Amino acid sequence: MTSETYLRTIWPSFQLLLAALVLAALLSFSPAAAQVDLTKRELNVPATLVAESQQVQAGQSVTLAFVMNPKPTWHGYWENPGDAGIGMSFDWKLPDGVTAGKAQYPVPDTLLISGIMNYIYKGDYAVLVNLVVSEKVKPGPLPISVKSEWLACTDEVCVPEQDELSINLQVVGPDAAVSLNNAFNAYREALPRQLGSAATFTVKDDLFRLSVPFPANIDIEKPYFFIKEDGIVDYAAPQKVNRDGDTLIIETAARGDALQNISGVVKIGPSSGFSVKAASGDVEMSGTPFIGSDDGGNFTGGGDQSNASLLFIALGGAIVGGLLLNLMPCVFPILSLKAISLAKAGGEEAVVRRDALAYTAGVVVVATALGGLLLALRASGAAVGWAFQLQDPKIIFVLLALVIAIGFNLAGLFELPNVNFGNKLAEKDGAAGSFWTGALAAFVATPCTGPFMAAALGATIVLPPIAALIIFAGLGVGLALPFLLIAFVPAIRNRLPKPGAWLDSFRKIMAIPMFLTAIGLIWLLGRQIGTDALGLSLIFLLLITLILWWFGGGQMKGLSRGTWATGALTAAIIGGVLLLPGAEAMDNQKVASASSATLPSEPFSEERLSELRASNQPIFAYFTADWCITCKANEAAAVQRQETADAFAEANVAVLMGDWTRPDPVISKFLEKHGRAGVPLYLYYAPGEEPVILPQILTVGTLTDLVT
Amino acid sequence: MFYKAALTSIAAVATIGMAMPLAAAQKTGAIAQDFKLTDMYGKTVQLSSFRGKTVVMEWHNPGCPFVVKHYDSGNMQKTQAAARKQGVVWLTINSGAQGKQGYMKGPEAQKLTKDQGMNSNHYLLDAKGVVGKAYAAKTTPHMYIINASGKLVYQGGIDDKPTANKADIKGARNHVTAALTELKAGKSVSVAQSRPYGCSVKYAS
Repeated sequence: MTSETYLRTIWPSFQLLLAALVLAALLSFSPAAAQVDLTKRELNVPATLVAESQQVQAGQSVTLAFVMNPKPTWHGYWENPGDAGIGMSFDWKLPDGVTAGKAQYPVPDTLLISGIMNYIYKGDYAVLVNLVVSEKVKPGPLPISVKSEWLACTDEVCVPEQDELSINLQVVGPDAAVSLNNAFNAYREALPRQLGSAATFTVKDDLFRLSVPFPANIDIEKPYFFIKEDGIVDYAAPQKVNRDGDTLIIETAARGDALQNISGVVKIGPSSGFSVKAASGDVEMSGTPFIGSDDGGNFTGGGDQSNASLLFIALGGAIVGGLLLNLMPCVFPILSLKAISLAKAGGEEAVVRRDALAYTAGVVVVATALGGLLLALRASGAAVGWAFQLQDPKIIFVLLALVIAIGFNLAGLFELPNVNFGNKLAEKDGAAGSFWTGALAAFVATPCTGPFMAAALGATIVLPPIAALIIFAGLGVGLALPFLLIAFVPAIRNRLPKPGAWLDSFRKIMAIPMFLTAIGLIWLLGRQIGTDALGLSLIFLLLITLILWWFGGGQMKGLSRGTWATGALTAAIIGGVLLLPGAEAMDNQKVASASSATLPSEPFSEERLSELRASNQPIFAYFTADWCITCKANEAAAVQRQETADAFAEANVAVLMGDWTRPDPVISKFLEKHGRAGVPLYLYYAPGEEPVILPQILTVGTLTDLVT
Repeated sequence: MFYKAALTSIAAVATIGMAMPLAAAQKTGAIAQDFKLTDMYGKTVQLSSFRGKTVVMEWHNPGCPFVVKHYDSGNMQKTQAAARKQGVVWLTINSGAQGKQGYMKGPEAQKLTKDQGMNSNHYLLDAKGVVGKAYAAKTTPHMYIINASGKLVYQGGIDDKPTANKADIKGARNHVTAALTELKAGKSVSVAQSRPYGCSVKYAS
């Protein structure tokens, strides 16, 4: 037998053997592979089970977190997943005497893919569950295990995932120390806070409407209602939002009306929201539409068409708004004098046009730059609105120095070599001068922009950045429009009054609106930093004015004091900015205003509470938030009343106030301990006794009865 | 030549006109929207041609774990076989767009239906998602039942255990089997609507 024939004979049987081997391998491997699939394979949305404390006292509860870390492009689901997807499930194995509460989910995001709405989490998130350990449980180890299932999806595919998670806790005696994991503060902050007031909903003519009590003065961004119950609303339908005084009304397409009570989360910012319960009732779409709500949420795609029309409307609004800005006290002086100076140069058409274009460029560049800065700040997560620059005392101070400088310049205290408001009419300003005048006008105009530009600028928040920048540029074009008209339409230019001796008087009169603007800014600054700090700031402003005067004096004598003046000015402005109080002092300012209230209070802290308890002083503790209407109503009707304050003062009651306007983990935990997910909460501690939880609707009588 | 172009554009306008009402979901109890789709053999299938018979529609995506749950376990095939035995027409519809998970051309679908032993009368290809969107099909599987007079009598999930776990099939209420049994007995469908569960339908846009 040659090797060749041997091979030929053996080959078929070899093939058979190989096939059998492969088959056997497949048979034996596939169940194993399937098992690996479910348990050992790397998860796309892996979960970790963490406890807030390893030790728990019998009769107390401990919070567990399922910390979910989706891989990039993957997401997990909210308890109501929306049109598709699935929420999490938990199958607990708990020792006797331990019970698990309902899972608490953070505020979700929307993800609309091809008309299918998903309620999801893109980044890391934590689902919290409270375990209650009964008093009967003996000290010792407490093994907790749970089998959880969830759905992990990308925009394209979905994978059901599950994991058996376990953790060993320790039951300790009532005196043992319990150390807390600080990460839970952040987990709690991401949860929706419970809105104290009840909401109402209605389903009529295929429309779902929800009315939520919500203060008119609280800013909201991209509001969206996530409903927990299925079958009531069309998830993918856009939601319209109106604000009518202290009511937020949300309207969307309905699917059914089978329920009397619904619940859900009203999202009002990138990661903040309120959980609401609503009962069936009448809801009308009253009030005014909230601009920008039609885009629905964070990750929505599409909707370009509505955005395009929104862009045109907003752009129109911005141009008209910019035009109106010319009449504002902060801008009119600059505008009017500049206009007349342009008219004077009337002889040379080309020069006039060049100056007008340079001015326009200056205005547009500054308006767009401010807009770009706003968008960048927003993108970095700061909660800022237009005129955001006025939220920072440093910028107000600089703006104030600028406005005062312009005011004194108009009044004739000094002259500036480059930025020219029409004083040296015989000279030609040059394109650079016009550009800087425009830039200055746009910057100084911002304090006056806010109120009537709000709608158009609100649109910039929902539009893509490029479109938003176009709107800011539109604002600038509007502001520069009168100049363009004067420069390019000779008929208008010819109707402007001819410059003469009256112009000098006019210029001085125009200092008045400038100083009015300065007074407005001083008031604003005073509100932010308090009168003490304001006094110091005003001294610096005086210093700046004196430097300018000295500089102006030098100019009149033909001396060049430019370098010295610039240096001294810079030093004065920097000094003024540095001496402004920090954020801490501004908080103190807020506290100071709390202590000047009818019923003065101290800020709440657990330490202060136990200190006061130890001193056997009666304590009234109340928890409030600016967005809580019930709280504010109670404060106006019962807490901040002279009768209450007198009665409390007589009985030497200490008052503690917890402000939950911003999420505060200490207060959150304290509320939770008292069985409340939200404010208001009113507690009265009689010396040496257990605290009494007062009703959520207070009267003066309820409070005064406590101490009499 | 001009005549032909004009005709084409009229046809295009007519198609858009027809497509417009398709955008809304179908109401349970109302006449179900008629449609024409091409099946995996290239044959045109029209819903209204089955008038007089009960029709089940099943939205399908072979890559979706929730669909896999019901096919690997044989649950869907069994439900299909029982339905056809009662003279019900079963239409399996794939609205997955080209390039998305579960998209198939005719020959691939032929192979898959054979390999998995599917018992549906027609496997329909809806890569543009026109019919899927007309019925507001959100998930795979998503089930619809149309009675002999053309009314939509059920829409929702295949059963009431929204998981991807085969072990949950036992003990779940199969809404389709239950509804077909009720229809056969001349009764109205007791659960006419339920929450569909599964992966989202992978529409083109």
